[in-house]
Amino acid sequence: MRIGLCTYSGYKIYPGHGKTVVRVDGKTFTFLNSKCEAAYHLKRNPRKVTWTVLYRRKYKKGQEEEQTKKHTRRTQKFQRAIVGASLSDIMAKRNMKPEVRKAQREQAIRAAKEQKKTAKAAKKPVKVAPAKKKTAPKTKAAKVTKKATPRVGGKR
Amino acid sequence: MNFTSTIWKLGSHLRNVASFHTTPVCKNIQLLTRLRVVDNSEIGKRAMAEGKPPKVIHVYNKRGLGGIGDKVMVAIKGQKKKGILVGLKKVQKPLVPKYDSNNVVLIDDTGTPLGTRIHAPIPTILRTILKSKTHVKGADYTKVLSIATKFV
Repeated sequence: MRIGLCTYSGYKIYPGHGKTVVRVDGKTFTFLNSKCEAAYHLKRNPRKVTWTVLYRRKYKKGQEEEQTKKHTRRTQKFQRAIVGASLSDIMAKRNMKPEVRKAQREQAIRAAKEQKKTAKAAKKPVKVAPAKKKTAPKTKAAKVTKKATPRVGGKR
Repeated sequence: MNFTSTIWKLGSHLRNVASFHTTPVCKNIQLLTRLRVVDNSEIGKRAMAEGKPPKVIHVYNKRGLGGIGDKVMVAIKGQKKKGILVGLKKVQKPLVPKYDSNNVVLIDDTGTPLGTRIHAPIPTILRTILKSKTHVKGADYTKVLSIATKFV
């Protein structure tokens, strides 16, 4: 004998129990007992009737053991090259040793001080020959570039 | 408020002194019962479409009340046809399903159905009932089951 299911409550119907009804459109309904049958005829939606299997399935009652969503999505972080600096530049700056950084900082400070001095000196003799400036291109160029770069290892 | 409502209730009770007890509807298949043809025979389809369902004019039963699997004579579109009852509105025995309409399948005298297919579900209990009605040299009523599509 087959153990059917009640179409209303979802309970098992053992042989010798229950009633089947066939609607005019051909749909068959099996009810476990007169309670289910009466509820069906009263047009009570089993999905709203608390004790039925359909309700429990809809509102996921008593299924905590099966469902454990422990998969949290994590975004991947990776270094990207920016317009101003390529990836290798960024990595070089990042991986610079602290001694190197300190040396660079000191150099930058010295360069800044020298530039200030030259600026003060330049104010007095305004019309200095441009050849003078050209004769010392290296130091000046070095100074300029050093000033242009932002502080190494400084604030982000 | 309470006082007036009780007076009202007493008054209505006094008015319904001649109340009577009624029995529920019988839902039997008997003379002049209208049936629903569930096969796809031409006569059946036309009759049901017109809104003139077949009426029982004789039940081949000692009791005159048709049960499931009983042969009946129906008047359909001015003709006399025989049919087999395949679904009843009346509450049945434990393992027999109940239908929302009284269904009939039209047959001829030899038991061969007039239609080619039955789309309504047929109770499986008919297998035993029709077999018991079938005699070796008489009409074979089980042919009706061969055109059924769904069993309940």
